[in-house]
Amino acid sequence: MKEIIKAVINVFIEMPRGMLVTLKHLFKKPVTLDYPKKKKPMAPRYRGRHYLERYDDGTERCVCCGLCAAACPADAIYMEPEESDNGERKAKIYEINLLRCIFCGFCEEACPEEAVFLGQEYEFSSSTRDSFIWKKDDMLVPHPRKDNPFKKIIRRVRKVYGVME
Amino acid sequence: MTEDVKTKEQAKPEVPMVSFTIDGRQESVPKGTTVLEAAKELGIHIPTFCWHPKLKSVGSCRMCYVEIEKWPKLAVSCATEVMPDMVVFTNSEKVKQGRKAILEFILANHPLDCPTCDKGGECDLQNLTFAHGIDDNRFDFQKNRFTSSTEGTTFDDKRIGPEIILNRNRCILCYKCVRANKEAFGEYDLGVYERGNIAEINSAPGKQVTNPFSGNLVQICPVGALTGADWRYKIRVWLTKTSPSICNFSSSGANILFYKDENKNKIHRVTARRNDAIDDGWIPDITRYGYQIVGSDERLKTPLIKKEGKQVEATWDEALDLIAKKLNEINEKKGRVCIGGMAAPHIDNAGLYSFSKLFRTVFKNNNVDHRSNYRMLPKEAGSHYITLCNRKFRISDIDDSDVIVIFGSDLLKEHHNLYLRIRKAYNFNNSRIFSVNPYSMKSSDVSEAELVYNVGTDEVLVNAIGLAAIEMELVDNTIGQKFKEKIIHKTLSEASGVCGVDEDLIKLIARAIANSKKISFICGELFSRSLARDNISSAILNINKLFGIENKGQIIALARYANSCGANKMAILPNPSKAVVDKLTELWGEYPEAEPKNTDAMLALMRKEEINGALIMGMNPIMMYPDRQFVTEGLERLDFLIACDMFETETTEIADVVLPMSSWAEYPGSYVNQEGILQTVPAAVKKLHQSKSPFEIVKCIAEKLEAQLFESDEQLNNEIEQLLSINDSDILPDEFLKVKFNPEEIEDDYLIPLFIGDDPHHSGYLTQKSNSLNNFRSEAYLELSPELAQKLGIEGGESVRVESPVGKIIVPTIISDYLDNDVVFIPRNFSTTPVTSLLMRKHRIDRVKISRVDE
Amino acid sequence: MFYSPVITNAAEAAKSDRLHLFKYVEDPDQDKLDTFVKHGGYAAWRKVLDGMKPDEVIAEVKTSGPRGRGGAGFPTGMKWGFIPKDSPKPRYLCCNADESEPGTCKDRVLMERDPHGVIEGMAIASYAIGCHLMFIYIRGEFFFCAQQIEAAMKEAYAKGYLGKNIFGSGYDLEMIVHTGGGAYICGEETALLNSIEGHRGMSRIRPPFPAIEGLYACPTIVNNVESLASVPHIINRGGEWYKTLGTEKSCGSKIFSLSGHVKRPGNYEVELGFSLKKLIYDEAYGGGILGDKKLKGVIPGGSSTPFLLPDMIDVNLDYESLVEKGSMLGSGAVIVFHEDTCIVWVIKKLIHFYRHESCGKCTPCREGTGWLEKIINRIEAGQGKPGDLEKIDDICNNIMGRTICPLGDAAVMPIQSSLKLFRDEWQYHIEHGKCMVKSDFSFG
Repeated sequence: MKEIIKAVINVFIEMPRGMLVTLKHLFKKPVTLDYPKKKKPMAPRYRGRHYLERYDDGTERCVCCGLCAAACPADAIYMEPEESDNGERKAKIYEINLLRCIFCGFCEEACPEEAVFLGQEYEFSSSTRDSFIWKKDDMLVPHPRKDNPFKKIIRRVRKVYGVME
Repeated sequence: MTEDVKTKEQAKPEVPMVSFTIDGRQESVPKGTTVLEAAKELGIHIPTFCWHPKLKSVGSCRMCYVEIEKWPKLAVSCATEVMPDMVVFTNSEKVKQGRKAILEFILANHPLDCPTCDKGGECDLQNLTFAHGIDDNRFDFQKNRFTSSTEGTTFDDKRIGPEIILNRNRCILCYKCVRANKEAFGEYDLGVYERGNIAEINSAPGKQVTNPFSGNLVQICPVGALTGADWRYKIRVWLTKTSPSICNFSSSGANILFYKDENKNKIHRVTARRNDAIDDGWIPDITRYGYQIVGSDERLKTPLIKKEGKQVEATWDEALDLIAKKLNEINEKKGRVCIGGMAAPHIDNAGLYSFSKLFRTVFKNNNVDHRSNYRMLPKEAGSHYITLCNRKFRISDIDDSDVIVIFGSDLLKEHHNLYLRIRKAYNFNNSRIFSVNPYSMKSSDVSEAELVYNVGTDEVLVNAIGLAAIEMELVDNTIGQKFKEKIIHKTLSEASGVCGVDEDLIKLIARAIANSKKISFICGELFSRSLARDNISSAILNINKLFGIENKGQIIALARYANSCGANKMAILPNPSKAVVDKLTELWGEYPEAEPKNTDAMLALMRKEEINGALIMGMNPIMMYPDRQFVTEGLERLDFLIACDMFETETTEIADVVLPMSSWAEYPGSYVNQEGILQTVPAAVKKLHQSKSPFEIVKCIAEKLEAQLFESDEQLNNEIEQLLSINDSDILPDEFLKVKFNPEEIEDDYLIPLFIGDDPHHSGYLTQKSNSLNNFRSEAYLELSPELAQKLGIEGGESVRVESPVGKIIVPTIISDYLDNDVVFIPRNFSTTPVTSLLMRKHRIDRVKISRVDE
Repeated sequence: MFYSPVITNAAEAAKSDRLHLFKYVEDPDQDKLDTFVKHGGYAAWRKVLDGMKPDEVIAEVKTSGPRGRGGAGFPTGMKWGFIPKDSPKPRYLCCNADESEPGTCKDRVLMERDPHGVIEGMAIASYAIGCHLMFIYIRGEFFFCAQQIEAAMKEAYAKGYLGKNIFGSGYDLEMIVHTGGGAYICGEETALLNSIEGHRGMSRIRPPFPAIEGLYACPTIVNNVESLASVPHIINRGGEWYKTLGTEKSCGSKIFSLSGHVKRPGNYEVELGFSLKKLIYDEAYGGGILGDKKLKGVIPGGSSTPFLLPDMIDVNLDYESLVEKGSMLGSGAVIVFHEDTCIVWVIKKLIHFYRHESCGKCTPCREGTGWLEKIINRIEAGQGKPGDLEKIDDICNNIMGRTICPLGDAAVMPIQSSLKLFRDEWQYHIEHGKCMVKSDFSFG
């Protein structure tokens, strides 16, 4: 007899109570983000994909000194230096194998010119292994003057109308 | 395995020892050692910047401080001699503070260039700052910057020579480069300018640093002030591995280190690896930049076969099959005796020995020779020239010789390490040096007297030295009379008249030789290339007997190529000595009885079509043999010519089969240098393209001819070892030798004597494929003295036509400070100027006619 | 017709029988050989050649015990005795006429007005050490001095006082006049030898000492002009007489070049032991401070010696007394500053000189003087930072005693002494950015 009463209480009182919890959560704000429609901003020091920085006038910062390659614990960086037109030391080849990279950030710490830094992006999946070896052009930030989209349009207009050689 | 050194050295005097205490250890060292040298011997580390084991100490960096008890100030250990009962502390607090202070001073004005500096990773300043320095610098001003004549560059790098770049901001003024340049090399193209804080190292105004030892300055600089253009921005040094080796371009066997990248199979750099017995840590630029031929784009990649007059690429199998087929054809037609072989003297012992065995056991003839750059070689085994070449000597004995005679050798062009060794003897030992040559040359700058004799009178001058000694009664009279019987000119004045040297000078040199305690008598290329080499050798052996030179010194007959001595020992001679023949008979069980033929004989027979096939390995006789017409006619008439080489050369152009050969860096080998020291080196890189080492080429050819030369590697090594252990320095003749003299007949038109040799920056025909050496010199020139230029009406730089009875060429001219006696010099290293087409092999002296191009 | 008009106490020297260097310098014909001989010149040279042996000459000089007058103060006779007797190499004598110590101008007067006296001294010294070729190294800027010495040398050759077989005694002596290129460092003996040999004028490490291996690796003696000029007088009147001049330990007379803020700057020959106060204030000598201002400080021996404060100038001018007061006799250039001089400015000028003249061979002097100049310039311009004085002190300690030649020590000693004695002025400059005294830089 007692079991029947307990069962009746469970069905009509405990169960709705449990379902009420679930119902409450139906109207609460979800803790999950609707990725990929919404993306959570990462912490400022988040270690994402690599970038090669430039100076304000557009010259590349990287002098191909080899310190990032020496610091890398996964041996992911390969570089070959060369002499640029005005006698400076620049990188001819600068490659990072992102499959080997462990995104520790040692290269960013080691760089004396503050050239390589790890940015905030983390979405760069691909379906071939080869495309994970990123070359220098893949990682360079846009040139402040030459790659500015506005200025590109203006330059094109001036060239078309013969104002600029 | 080294040979027994002549035991005729005097016993070294007992050196007194001094005992002292260093860091608590009681030690004793020879008197005269400095504290720094003593510490290095005992393994105690004292940091230095400006000290170098082969230069005089200057004490200018002040880094080698030590504290000595009872001395009020810190002492510099590179300048302080060890005194008895000295107590030295190398690591006390005062010393540590002193070192920190010096590093702080140096770093005060040193730019923060480490990321871009090529020296990073092997920089003395980096290492010592890490070990002994301070964290931070209190210097908070603008650092000194040297910008004169480098405006427009970003890093203030100034190119002061074809291969050397200077950055004055990084210089710490240790003065090693200028000291090495002045003391060790005798050049003045680098100097110190200004004074004090703004002192700078710079090239001499209006000049560039182009001396043939300039690469050493880059290696000796402790920081990145002097960097090499060849290493500039190439790779970081910690990404390379090193591999020891020796120089393959000269007979000294200088020790080097290859810096290589194993993943890419490339050699990036060569540096010196100090070996005090051989090279003292200096290597000439040829050695340093010659490695670039290994990775050159122009290397032969595949074998080539001549089909319908053109050479096409083929596989090794095709080439070897063709070789076997053709050699068997020749065998059936005329017998194997009609095949000749020439092997280069820079191939390793294994390659040379297998070559010799191939010819003697498979082809059963004696047509092997390695000397394709010499004319009219002696045919007999017992010639006096061979006797002279077999004399034992040690280059390191030059260091304490008090008289050095250089006879017939232009050291700066062909024996760079010997040139430096003689300078060292002059600087540190005050040796008296005498230069006896047919023209004046730069290597005689340190000589006390330079005797310039008329060309073609070498043996007369040697005899004159003997006559002078007899007349001054420096030697026993009866022996002197016996000497006089064998020579043509009987009095000193007669002989000195013929050879054109002042009598007083000859007397001076005779007196010096007679009174010397230890003498080195050096004979070089100018005599060994001469037609009359046998005669001159007899004269020199007479002098040896007269003065007793070998009792108190050594006679040095210089070999020229990296393994010339090894080639002699491995029996790449048509007529080896009896001991070698006996040993070979013992090893092989047989020895061919065919008549031995040296290079000249082989080429003559080729012209007559009595030799129909030839195997030329690593040589270029068309370019190098001193009579281009003779060689070309011979080689073109061959039925079948096999040429093995690294590049396409004049000889491979006419060959029927061309096989790509590996360079010395690509296979392990052993080489015997000019003194007889055996050095074994490993391979540095894997064989490039489809090339094979010389030993492998011979093995493949033998296999195709169904002969097995060696059953195993052990057998090969064993046989080589047995051959190397033969010690056959011939016994000197008892009596004086007859010395003939035939005065030269000079044709009317062709009057000016022409000498051929190597440019100081090149060696043979291979170095013209090296970019760095071509930066120094990339084309031939005619070198002549100002007087002769004036006589002919030529201005420097102008092109002239040089004609001889058999050929003519056009070359630009260079007016040099040396070269009197109206002789001219043309280097033979450049394919664009076929200078050997002017030579005639039967002439002792080649004479030419020079005219301006527009005449 | 003398090029450099300078006040000397020649009148006093002419009357005295103890002062000998300046006796005839006011005579316009003293540089001619005949006048020189008339005044008793070359008598010592004849006396030496007549019968004295070289050892006797050295002994005579040793008993009188004069010390070198160039600045280092090494006993001359002892230096001559260092020549090895059994060496087969030729010996050389070099007279150091490269007078570049700031404040010193005494050798110039001797060379211009009494060149034969210098030549005689050099000749006797050469005889004593057995040298047959002597050099005189004249500073490149002393064009007129070089002319005078060359003219005197030609006269001496013409009349047979130099050359082969002088006066039939069998002794040959040749002389070479070598002019420098304008470097203070070439006054240091090994740099001088390097310069004569044709190399850069940079010092050599010692050992080996020049007396064993000097010019062209042969035994060489280098002496100052004044030291050599007093040698004939020692020979003439005997070493014992010379000992009576001066004090017991510092004997002889010396020329002091007085300059700075005094009314009568000039060269004064006095016996050693003369009172410094008298030299500055006496009417016959300095005549007192310019403008009758108060004295601030004195540098007693050339710019490389430490300062003396006004309460310390009651001292005798000889080697020992000055060392007791913490300074040095040096080359005898007394520089006087009155109360309106900014000591920081003085030090700035001095360190600029030393930085400019450092040869650049050893690291501490080359980099250290450059660094010191930059810090001191900054302090003097009013932008000193706290902690600068400790830095200067530390750098000076790192240079002192750690260099090849004494130029590093010379650069550092005035700085260290000014930090010790005038620290308040330095502090004022750093804290307030201007001079503590209302100084203008003019002398007046």
